[in-house]
Amino acid sequence: MTAAVAPDLAPLETDRSLRRYEDIRQLLPDVDNPTPLVRLNHVVAGTGLTAYLKLEWLNPFGSLKDRAANYLMAGMHERGDLDGRDIVEASSGNTAIALAALAALAGKSLTVTIPSDVPEEKRTMLRMLGAEVWETPDDLCPVDHPKDGAIALARSIAAQDGGARFALANQYENEDNVRAHYETTGPEIWRQTNGQVDYFVAGFGTTGTITGVGRYLKERNPEIRVVAVEPHPGHRLPGLKSFQEAKQPGILDWGVIDDVIRVDDAAAYETTKQLHRREGLIVGPSTGAVVHGVNEIGAAGGIAVGISPDSGSKYTSYFADILGDDGRPRV
Amino acid sequence: MTTHTDIPDTHETLDTSGLLCPLPVYKAGIVLGRLEPGQVLELICTDPGSLEDIPAMARQRGDTLVASEDQGDTQRFWIQKGAS
Repeated sequence: MTAAVAPDLAPLETDRSLRRYEDIRQLLPDVDNPTPLVRLNHVVAGTGLTAYLKLEWLNPFGSLKDRAANYLMAGMHERGDLDGRDIVEASSGNTAIALAALAALAGKSLTVTIPSDVPEEKRTMLRMLGAEVWETPDDLCPVDHPKDGAIALARSIAAQDGGARFALANQYENEDNVRAHYETTGPEIWRQTNGQVDYFVAGFGTTGTITGVGRYLKERNPEIRVVAVEPHPGHRLPGLKSFQEAKQPGILDWGVIDDVIRVDDAAAYETTKQLHRREGLIVGPSTGAVVHGVNEIGAAGGIAVGISPDSGSKYTSYFADILGDDGRPRV
Repeated sequence: MTTHTDIPDTHETLDTSGLLCPLPVYKAGIVLGRLEPGQVLELICTDPGSLEDIPAMARQRGDTLVASEDQGDTQRFWIQKGAS
């Protein structure tokens, strides 16, 4: 099936060898235009496992969430949800950034509710894209919605005026999120590994990625192990969720998940630093968590593919905190 | 109608009728943020959840719920901003 495209997109008549595009949306990935798989040669070594990272930060709006946002937009458009309405969504930043860009291209505006611990870099980028940003403590509604304040706030904004003003993209409950990965990320990985992938590793967030990719890969080969990485409660790993403190998304399918590996912040940030310094990969902290998960699989061999959701450029303020005096002149 | 304690002088009124939690909590937080310590916000809500959420919010923020009225369909709260 052809990947969903946002409304008003002209047919793709692009010569990829020229890398000339008539619209930024033509860079959105699909099985014929996959994001790269890059082997980890140093950080995952000596385990017998051959590990690759899928570099989702090379998507046009900078993250894995470009895929879900594209499908969410297309789904809302097809259902008529956008007729006379703008868009509201809860996001830790990446979905919102992609949605803001796609909404602007479709002549719509985006209101986004984001947890207050989202880095300043993302909040500023969203405002730069024209989004209205509602910064929200996760414990905003302490009685009914512990740790999910941004999601609850987006719902209550959408419910105003009988739903006449806003369509809720609803990435946590919307099967279009899963379908994005079932129809693009999963087939890409299968093809890029010649069907030889043994392990797939991704973090818990909206769970669209692990559910969609896991479902696709398990249908091709039920022996493939699908491994989820989950942070501890109270973590500081943007984009990841601990379901010990946050509500499980409606789209999560436990039937495709074989193992859950828990990662603490220190291990995730240390791995992120090693990915920068030993692999030359400028990745965000959730990638460090995923690669920590790859190292924890404990397999003697096989091929593992981990998702690298976004780049480190959105988290420099976080990195400054963990670096301390590291990298400053010692005099 | 249930009234708790005397109604104080108010400095600003926010009507969140028709809005569901946590929107009233969020908007109240914005208004309280611009009040001076000691000033009072009158908050009008119609979401029944506000009976629990608004007192919890005031405690969490370090503000004081100085009075409240439950009129069945409508709840009114008077919140005094704490010291910043």
